[in-house]
Amino acid sequence: MAEISPLHSIKVNKKKCIGCVACMKACPTKAIRIRNQKAKIFYQRCIDCGECLRVCPYNAIVPITTKPSAVDIFKYKIALPSPVLYSQFGHEIMPNEILMVLKEMGFDQVYDEASVCEMINLAIEEYLDENKSPRPIISSTCPVVVRLIQRLFPSLCKHIIPIEPPREIAAKNLRQEISKEKNIPEQEIGIIHITPCSAKMVSINHPETMEKSHLDGALSIREIYNNVMMKLRKEKRPLMLQTQTRISGIGIGWSIPGGEIRGLKYFNSVSVSGLYDTITILEDVESGKLKDIEYLECLICPDGCIGGPLTVENRFIAKSNILRLIRTFGGKKRVDINFVKKLYRDNFFSFEHEVKPKPFAPLDKNRSKAIKKMKLKEKIIKKLPGIDCGVCGAPDCRTLAEDIVRGDAQLKDCIYLRTKKYERKESYGKK
Amino acid sequence: MRSKTVFQQEFKIKGGDFLNAGESSCKIRNILKEIGIDADIVRRLAIIAYEAEMNVVLYARHGAMYLFVYPDKILLKIKDMGQGIENIDLAMRPGYSTATEEIREMGFGAGMGLPNIKKNADVFKITSKVGKGTALEIIINLNGKNG
Repeated sequence: MAEISPLHSIKVNKKKCIGCVACMKACPTKAIRIRNQKAKIFYQRCIDCGECLRVCPYNAIVPITTKPSAVDIFKYKIALPSPVLYSQFGHEIMPNEILMVLKEMGFDQVYDEASVCEMINLAIEEYLDENKSPRPIISSTCPVVVRLIQRLFPSLCKHIIPIEPPREIAAKNLRQEISKEKNIPEQEIGIIHITPCSAKMVSINHPETMEKSHLDGALSIREIYNNVMMKLRKEKRPLMLQTQTRISGIGIGWSIPGGEIRGLKYFNSVSVSGLYDTITILEDVESGKLKDIEYLECLICPDGCIGGPLTVENRFIAKSNILRLIRTFGGKKRVDINFVKKLYRDNFFSFEHEVKPKPFAPLDKNRSKAIKKMKLKEKIIKKLPGIDCGVCGAPDCRTLAEDIVRGDAQLKDCIYLRTKKYERKESYGKK
Repeated sequence: MRSKTVFQQEFKIKGGDFLNAGESSCKIRNILKEIGIDADIVRRLAIIAYEAEMNVVLYARHGAMYLFVYPDKILLKIKDMGQGIENIDLAMRPGYSTATEEIREMGFGAGMGLPNIKKNADVFKITSKVGKGTALEIIINLNGKNG
């Protein structure tokens, strides 16, 4: 059966996997190897970015999200969709219609995250006002970016803004309010995020900045898509219900790159999306190159959350839909700044504890041994062909060398070296 | 020398090559991370290596960076063939720069390079000959918790 790690949101379906190298090659942290003709995820290196899920030609990489049946155990169920959901059903469907359909699907309440996004915008500004160093401050919204920094750029952990992302703040606020208002114990309220990526699931099950997430689970957009689409098609809702004035245009913008920085008074802010571009810019931050940038928004998916691996709509169409919605709902601020300032002072938005560095295991715990292994690794790299074919089961020659030094592979795994040896024997025989 | 265990590697740097500037310091960073050097020390060395690499790119014809990792310290040597520094005391002063207008327009030459390197180093040595080139020697001590 499939391998499962409770710590992660991705697993391999061994029945479907044929052991091609697509996922292994795509993995940015080199967490995948091919062993016995099947992909094997080394979970201690996985950051749940979902690249493997995107590239697998056989649908053998499976995302793990909350099952709809698991939602039913809660007495009072609240859906908290990512604003990305509004971009998935064409440009004629308004956010309010989608929220209504969600409610019809069995939620007791639905809540629009966009207005909370706007609040967080103001909180970010407060934080930048109060804290003049270090720079740049990096967004905490994308859970993969947080994990990427912990793993690959541990020294940048203190650059992450210690403010929880909108989904968590919205859930925190909702639970308190609903519990009081409806007199329901907090643990009987189930707040379910509707997510464009499986990484949110990991941040719910194993948050990096607090004891327990304020969310109770995440349903993927893919999973509910058909159901919502069918209901939307079946009956046209009255026009007056289709437009909702309370939805925040600023907040909807968070689902595409630049959403967090568009409203900031700190103009010297930068938005980056996509895995490799994010890694490149974090490398520059680590070199101290970008000290004059105030705020850095990094989103691991191409074009931000609308490019999430669990979305359905083509991301360019989705982006166009979002831009249209931003225009419809306008850039008018719908949140009271003094209210946000008070919440900020009460630490309502703050992390419970800071993000801790979690660097990859070194070649050896003993530094002298690690240095020796590093020397050996360089030696092995010189022997290997450097063509990165992947047949050995490692994504490239450098990684094979590392695996050999760590004791996880052997030099004879290299098919190139084996062929060369065979050819030498052949020509020897002919003489 | 106290210990024979040392990892060393050479990185060549070409003067005026802005396209590849920063590559060597990036490689150095990755080596240190793999050996398991503490994140804050990697950061300090990343800044040193980057500033030093940029100095070669901006002011010299060519040069090289030599990394030595010992169990108890990291030694980084940078040598270049270039214009050299006339007055080292002055060059070490924050904000002092001989950069041309062109270089400044590119966002470099703010006069913070050498002071920044010194600030992040435990031992910092600089020698220079006008018309010949400059040599830097930087040591960062490692607290021997894993030594």
